[in-house]
Amino acid sequence: MKLRNLILIILLLATSKVGAQEKYKLSGSFKDLTFKEFVAKTEKLLPVKFFYKDEWINELKLGEYPDCSTLSCVLDNLFKGSALFYVIEESGNIVITNNYAVKISSLPVEKDNKFLPPSDFSSLSETQRTAEISSVEIGNPAEKNNPGKAAVSGYITNKDTREPVAGVTVFIQKLSLGAITNEYGFYTLTLPRGIYQVKFSFIGMREKTLNVNLYGAGELNTDMSSVLIPLKETVISAQKSVTLQRFEVGAEKINMNSFKLLPTSMGESDIIKSVLLLPGVQSVGEGSAGFNVRGGSADQNLILLYGAPIYNSSHFFGFFSAVNSDIIKDVTLYKGGIPSRYGGRISSVLDIGAKEGNKKEFSGNAGISPITAHLSVEGPIIKDTLTYDLTARTTYSNWILGLINDPSIHNSRASFYDFNGKITYDFNKNNKIDLSGYTSHDAFRFKSDTTYRYNNNVIALKWRHFFNSRLFSSISVNNSSYDYEVSSQYLQTEAFVLAHKINSTGFKADFNWFLGRNEINFGLDLTRYAINPGSYLPYGDSSVVAPTRLQMQRSWEGALYIDDKFLINDMLSVNLGLRMSSYFDFGPQTVMIYNPEFSKSTSTIIDTLNFKSGKVINKYAGPEFRVSLNYRISDKSSIKINYNRTRQYLHLLSNSTSISPTDTWKLSDYYIKPEIGDQVAAGFYEVFSNSFEASAEIYYKSIQNMIDFKGGTDFIMDDNIEKDIVNVKGKAYGLELVLKRTEGKLRYSIGYTYSRTFVRSISDFSEEMINSGKWFPANFDKPNDLIITFNYIFSRRFSISSNYTWSTGRPITYPVSTYAMYDEVLIHYSDRNKYRIPDYSRLDLSFQVNGNLRARRLIHPNWTFSVYNLLGRENVYSIYFKKVGDLYTGYKLSVFGRAIPSVTCSFDF
Amino acid sequence: MIKKNFIIFLLISQLLSSCITQFIPQITEEKELLVVQGLITDKQETDTIKLSKSLPFGHINEATPVSGSKVFISDNMGNSFGLNEINKGTYITDASKFRGVPGRYYTLHLSTNSDNLNYESLPIEMKAVPPIDSLYYEKKVVEQPYENFKGIDACQIFLNTHDPADNCKYYRWDYSETWQLRLLFDVPNQTCWISDKSHAINIKSTAAFNEATINRLPVNYITNATDRLKTRYSIEVNQYSLNEDEFNYWEKIQNVAIQVGGLYDIIPSSIPSNIHCIENPEKVVLGYFSVSAKSSKRIFISDNFEGIINQYANCVTDTIDTDKPIGINEWIWILVYHKCSIPCSSTFEITTHRECADCTTRGTTIKPDFWMDDKK
Repeated sequence: MKLRNLILIILLLATSKVGAQEKYKLSGSFKDLTFKEFVAKTEKLLPVKFFYKDEWINELKLGEYPDCSTLSCVLDNLFKGSALFYVIEESGNIVITNNYAVKISSLPVEKDNKFLPPSDFSSLSETQRTAEISSVEIGNPAEKNNPGKAAVSGYITNKDTREPVAGVTVFIQKLSLGAITNEYGFYTLTLPRGIYQVKFSFIGMREKTLNVNLYGAGELNTDMSSVLIPLKETVISAQKSVTLQRFEVGAEKINMNSFKLLPTSMGESDIIKSVLLLPGVQSVGEGSAGFNVRGGSADQNLILLYGAPIYNSSHFFGFFSAVNSDIIKDVTLYKGGIPSRYGGRISSVLDIGAKEGNKKEFSGNAGISPITAHLSVEGPIIKDTLTYDLTARTTYSNWILGLINDPSIHNSRASFYDFNGKITYDFNKNNKIDLSGYTSHDAFRFKSDTTYRYNNNVIALKWRHFFNSRLFSSISVNNSSYDYEVSSQYLQTEAFVLAHKINSTGFKADFNWFLGRNEINFGLDLTRYAINPGSYLPYGDSSVVAPTRLQMQRSWEGALYIDDKFLINDMLSVNLGLRMSSYFDFGPQTVMIYNPEFSKSTSTIIDTLNFKSGKVINKYAGPEFRVSLNYRISDKSSIKINYNRTRQYLHLLSNSTSISPTDTWKLSDYYIKPEIGDQVAAGFYEVFSNSFEASAEIYYKSIQNMIDFKGGTDFIMDDNIEKDIVNVKGKAYGLELVLKRTEGKLRYSIGYTYSRTFVRSISDFSEEMINSGKWFPANFDKPNDLIITFNYIFSRRFSISSNYTWSTGRPITYPVSTYAMYDEVLIHYSDRNKYRIPDYSRLDLSFQVNGNLRARRLIHPNWTFSVYNLLGRENVYSIYFKKVGDLYTGYKLSVFGRAIPSVTCSFDF
Repeated sequence: MIKKNFIIFLLISQLLSSCITQFIPQITEEKELLVVQGLITDKQETDTIKLSKSLPFGHINEATPVSGSKVFISDNMGNSFGLNEINKGTYITDASKFRGVPGRYYTLHLSTNSDNLNYESLPIEMKAVPPIDSLYYEKKVVEQPYENFKGIDACQIFLNTHDPADNCKYYRWDYSETWQLRLLFDVPNQTCWISDKSHAINIKSTAAFNEATINRLPVNYITNATDRLKTRYSIEVNQYSLNEDEFNYWEKIQNVAIQVGGLYDIIPSSIPSNIHCIENPEKVVLGYFSVSAKSSKRIFISDNFEGIINQYANCVTDTIDTDKPIGINEWIWILVYHKCSIPCSSTFEITTHRECADCTTRGTTIKPDFWMDDKK
């Protein structure tokens, strides 16, 4: 038997009694035997068994030990000067460890009282007493009196699935010092030598405490077991020590367990919906696609799945997220303090971490909600090495539409499906590869003449390599595309297919280097874009539509980045980041040159420039600084300040209030400059009474080179989009206050945000001015926003949760006067966004029942009963004006005009 | 075409039990802006420029005309033509002196009396227009709500045109329609001609087509709810050439006027006119000065359309004694004569609503010059 799982043995040791070492007497000479030979001989002579790894003892040869009569004496001499330690168990197992010694707490106390094993557990809380406690030694005991600090690092894995666990808090109460494991489950801590209790905690995992005697630098790897029964934990956000430790102001980690408890609109757990519950995140209306982070437009959010960008994040025009929540392991939203490894979008990064397949056994989940049915399966192909995770989801709404008697609905179609797959291969401890794929599809048909289809496709390959315990790399390539197609047969002679497509291929090499007090992250990020802005082709033989294809756009975006997290002292740490970003737009392309004395229009074109294939049309480059400072005032509170700059070369052209699936992507070009955002933010965080957490954050943001449009422009199939564009700049500021209770049966969170967002057009021409060039509120400017969420856990089987939202209505432009032209009544509008729609308020409630708690049962059913908009309030989704006869009348549309109950059932197997 | 987004959206929201209610916005401003509706053509006709003020939203009164302004048109050959005010706010050209010529550029000049401001349009080229190739109609069976129900017919009028020279890529159409009305009662004003005009801006571009050809362009759709098709109907369609700027203007106007405010509708804003105020360029002017060549075509329709609603179904008659006073109750008597063929004891007067017995309430008894009676 070879040593496979050190940690298991350690745990075993911790609970077993150990006898005296002198029990095993040895005589004779073992000189020049290899360790293996020695083991074979000893195991024959004595009732003992050795556990070790071959690679540790290859070089080892026994010497002459004349004074030794016991086994322990031989081993003591043999291992002297090496990093190997051993322990002899009562039952005769001899366990050899590398880099650290295993110490059993009942061993006699050493004389040097600097290294007393902790024995006083009376101060530990109830949960800690039940936690698994073991004792380990790190480093060579000989170094124990060396000056300076020692670095401890290691990996945390999930005991059941063998997956690394990211986000585990490693905390040392005595020093109020801690670290959080990264996405590889790796952490590092630099500590003064001494005795510590190291606490490992993570939501959904059994808390674990290890007693550590730290003599010198070394590894401390461990695993954690998940809470046996899939009890849904109900913590709403990351743990408090995490909040204090994180460098970034405005980084929010969404916990999947609490996320799944949130009330749903149509029985679908929805990741974007739960992002909207975070302070500083808003949308223009419920059920509208996209979200706005701290005054940024919807296209300024980078949504990453498997490390690849997702270009359309919603199904059904925004009612559902395009990413199935079943695949999500964790979600982090950076609304400020964006680490320098991310780039290309101004306002936020939503990084969706996908889970890996179970390494031990097959498992799955199937469920049904009023809109969709879904199935996911996972398991090992080769145990512990090669795993898969497959998830599919589809609607059966076409069937429902067919049941409706109204012919216009009866003949309509609306459906979507999505599929996710991931294969993970662990070559060995140091190499891991995963291949992931995602596809989503939506189709609509209204009556029978116009059909809309749109698709997301992502494929990503990632190779993680560990050079040593201090340097990791992650190399990935991915391809992501989004396309839509609108076809109409309303008139046979004019039947057309309108299509648009964006395709991007990305390469990323990312390195993490732990260097003493520094954690350095650096790398290279390259993306190639190809956009078909639009093609308009005849549909059918009788169509006279001339095939038209707009000029393709091709460009490269490249960046080099470096980020250093540096601990100045126990209280103060800084994070300095720099991202050198560049962008190149390539030909072939024909560019129109306009008379600079007039606003751009077809009649002011004076020249054309032809760029040949591969020729650079325009290039943009610039540094992006990302700086943050974290000052811990005390154990319970900290202050963080940060500044960051971001550049964005890709823009979504949308001239409606909400983004829609038929909006087109546009790259920066000869005329369109990159958007540049600067944000300064500061936050104060406090933990009190152990279960309460409060935070206050303020920010100010300014954005240059945003895009708006000349009035009434409909830029479908427009080859010279620059003539319709108005250059605007934006500013946003806000205050976000959060109070949470994160422990106990009753948990809640109250968040209030005051924020403003303004934009202003910049031009010399009156045609390009909006509101005469004055600042005006952006479409998503909603000054007041209050969100309360609450959970109550009756027992492991039953829980209830609720959330309440109230916000100011979004701005709107109203018609203010009417006039007639050629007997048609027309309207003239107020200044942009001068008025507001009524306030928004909604209460949701949900009740969860976990069918059975017995772990051995084959199927675990889970039921969720939820009511959306419990008060039945007719919240205004939109207000629009329609001409009836010669008169314009205003209408108010409420999407969820009454309380919507839903039941979702799912089975784990 | 993207407009349909909103309809699809409504469709989904219908599934989600949405509701739509009327909404009256609280508007705190009243704007009166100068509105210019101007059109000059290449025909030997008087051209009209109308000046008025816009109305506050929700008001339905007649627009206030802007009277006493000085209006003239100049061209790029150095000519200048003054216009005369014939009605309040209506200014006309002298047809004997002014007639547009395709290829020339025209500019409109205005000076308002009340505030002494001068306005000017950009110089606009008059583009030649091809004739309308054909104007025709198709009977359309409207879906039958019940089986064995006598069908309801509607009439769709189409137009075909093409420009062999491929000069004209942008078009606007309007029409005037006239129909004959014959009342049920044998009364003096029994036959009239009723006229109406188009109430919508109808534009189209052939820029996206291989050939400058337009087929089956819908001009007018007549439902069974009117009596236009009951006897005899005539429509004259005018086809105007537009330049690209004007086409874009109307397209934008429509983009922000048909349905606005919804999440997937184009964000509304005012569309800049081609007329600006010289003294104050930021002053908003509404409307457009159009310079178009014009071609026209007329057709007559006498056909049997099923299911035309009888607007006179409620025309009950009653008799009253001649002794009784005239015009009692809600009855307004119009019909006088009811001759008894068999000897009767006295003379009765048969009465009905005036609308039922006098066609001049809706039209005129004077036959229009262009009217050609059905040969049948």
